[in-house]
Amino acid sequence: MSLSAYLPIAIMALLASGFAAISLGLSRLIAPHNPTPEKLDPYECGIVPLQEPVQRFPVKFYLVAMLFVIFDVEIVFLFAWAVRFTQLGWYGIGAVGIFTLLLIETLVYVWKRGALDWNVARRSRRRPAVVEPLTEKAA
Amino acid sequence: MIINQFLVLAALLFSIGIYGVLVRRNAVLVLLSIELMLTAVNINLVAFGSYIQDTLRSGQVFALFVITVAAAEVGIGLAIVVLVFRNRASANVDELDLMRW
Amino acid sequence: MNMNLLAVAPEVIVVVAVVALLMIDVQWRPGPVWWAIAAAMGIAGATAAVALQWVDYRGADAASFFSDMIAIDGFGAFAGMVIFPLAGLGLMAAWPLIRSQGGRGAEFVVLVLIAATGAHLMAAAANLIMLFVGLEVFSISLYVLAGFTRERVDADEAALKYFLLGAVASAIFLYGIALVYASTGTTSIGGIATYLRSTILLRPGVLMAGMAMLLVGLAFKVSAAPFHMWAPDVYQGAPGGVTGFLAAGAKVAGFAAMARVLAVALGGRIDDWAPAVAVLAAVSIVLGTLLALVQSDLKRMLAYSSVAHAGFILTALVAGANGIPDMWFYVATYAVQVLAAFTVASVVSGATQGRAPLSDYTGLASRSPWLAGMLGLLMLAMAGIPLTAGFVGKAAVFRSAIDADYLWLVIVGVVSAVAGLFFYLRVIVLMYMQAADEESGHIPVPGGARVVLVAVGVLTVLIGVVPWPLLTWLRDALPL
Repeated sequence: MSLSAYLPIAIMALLASGFAAISLGLSRLIAPHNPTPEKLDPYECGIVPLQEPVQRFPVKFYLVAMLFVIFDVEIVFLFAWAVRFTQLGWYGIGAVGIFTLLLIETLVYVWKRGALDWNVARRSRRRPAVVEPLTEKAA
Repeated sequence: MIINQFLVLAALLFSIGIYGVLVRRNAVLVLLSIELMLTAVNINLVAFGSYIQDTLRSGQVFALFVITVAAAEVGIGLAIVVLVFRNRASANVDELDLMRW
Repeated sequence: MNMNLLAVAPEVIVVVAVVALLMIDVQWRPGPVWWAIAAAMGIAGATAAVALQWVDYRGADAASFFSDMIAIDGFGAFAGMVIFPLAGLGLMAAWPLIRSQGGRGAEFVVLVLIAATGAHLMAAAANLIMLFVGLEVFSISLYVLAGFTRERVDADEAALKYFLLGAVASAIFLYGIALVYASTGTTSIGGIATYLRSTILLRPGVLMAGMAMLLVGLAFKVSAAPFHMWAPDVYQGAPGGVTGFLAAGAKVAGFAAMARVLAVALGGRIDDWAPAVAVLAAVSIVLGTLLALVQSDLKRMLAYSSVAHAGFILTALVAGANGIPDMWFYVATYAVQVLAAFTVASVVSGATQGRAPLSDYTGLASRSPWLAGMLGLLMLAMAGIPLTAGFVGKAAVFRSAIDADYLWLVIVGVVSAVAGLFFYLRVIVLMYMQAADEESGHIPVPGGARVVLVAVGVLTVLIGVVPWPLLTWLRDALPL
């Protein structure tokens, strides 16, 4: 394999970026351009924006994203198993079975702990935190 | 098969990752840089595995493990970053200076 | 496919205990008593399994199973016999912290158990893939533990620093593995050793680079200077109850991995890596001792002292596989001592607190003679005073280094050990010779911490006075 094998990709990349540049540039050159204050508003229909458009995501999104990434990627092992399904036989099925059971156990735990509840207020009502105050030396 | 291109790509990615870890201030971007380093390792492992024609496919298998472990690491890392952000309303690693010496 | 359930028995037992603990906890909420029962059963079962491995496979009978992934040998079995009881002691010491966390306490117990499993997996790995998985299982659990008290700012800071530096170290370690794989064509530890012994590499550059990166990654994990920057911050910031297991476990697991990788897999290349390890050892000993001298916080001082101890342990490794018994002696005795020392810190300064300013310890002898006596004994042991296990450990690692012709390293070590006396004795002077600032009163010692301290105190003195049984034993704690 040498670099010439990548020539089609290079041509493709050139064509793609060229197409984008030409169409954007042409429309900029040819299109009429007379802005008015109304046209520059975020909502041209006249709604006054109440807050900054870029908002932080609530932390719940991160929680779901983290859980998704973990459960999603663990499936990688199933691909490796699928490739050699017949050769691995019962040994493979057993191993993957144990693996899946552990994944399910994790899912059950996460679910029961309420990490999948979108409504956090409900979660805290169902799970009162029993916190024993620790007898500690006054700082 | 020529392996140089893969090695150069991996080395570049790894260096970019290290640069990001050292220079970036936002913890999430540092996290991304670490992921870049792990990806570089994966490229290396798969390229080497194919180059030396390993019949056990250790390189590819290792890459699978690296991918999963990286996912777990990112999960934990994001959780810690969110925790830090909640407590101090900033994910800037330069502000982690409560303890020194 | 050579399956042997005994090879994975410790891991399986702990995982079953963990699953039972979590499922029953989340369904019926039986509370801390159930956590203690499940953890005790898991740890007892795993310890029994590694003891069985030790009896059956130590010495010449060692073998590897599951397609050469996991070894049963004296090395891995001994590591298990250290790490699982260590997890038990760590849980006992951390029990006040666990109870203070409400329902999340179950997760703390689980994380400690999983970390112990990962550490044992690192020690028993016969393949770099397994070693890496074990390393990550262990490290990821510890990242979470370091920040377990969610509301304390210095604990999150510790967790984030530990995580970021640990993840970078893992990535460097992995790159090293990839390069070693490239130059030897296998990830099996035994395979790499055989290949390097039977083949003369014409261009060893790739292997050298790989070895260097492996060394850097592992040096991070055991907090050897100059890769120790995370240790003081993490040890100081992490909650008092966590730090003991964190410090002790990291040493055991890190050095087990280091011995496997350097002394076994790369054993044929000892002339290449031993000088680097010697330099790391010398830098760690000197830097750790010097920086410990100027600390005003007990946990931070112990952190720098642990950097120095990492140097002493590395001193044994310059002898390659011959140094492994001495390394194990030092690691095992130091691990229990550091766990107990941090336990005292968590009792005196608070189990959820990060900081442990030395002023908390002024006049401790009059307030709490028992705690002061224990901390004093531990300080003497860490300093390496005769008739404690610390002395025998230092003598053993120095003997290994002399056998390997590293006399200069031994001189550096002895001089630093003498200098190190100052900061250990400073704590004792503070406790016994100075009056307490204000009458803070007697400090109650929780039952778990009391058990840990008594056990470690007895072991430290016993092994210090009669070290021969353990030393003889350790001759069988050799890798495959």
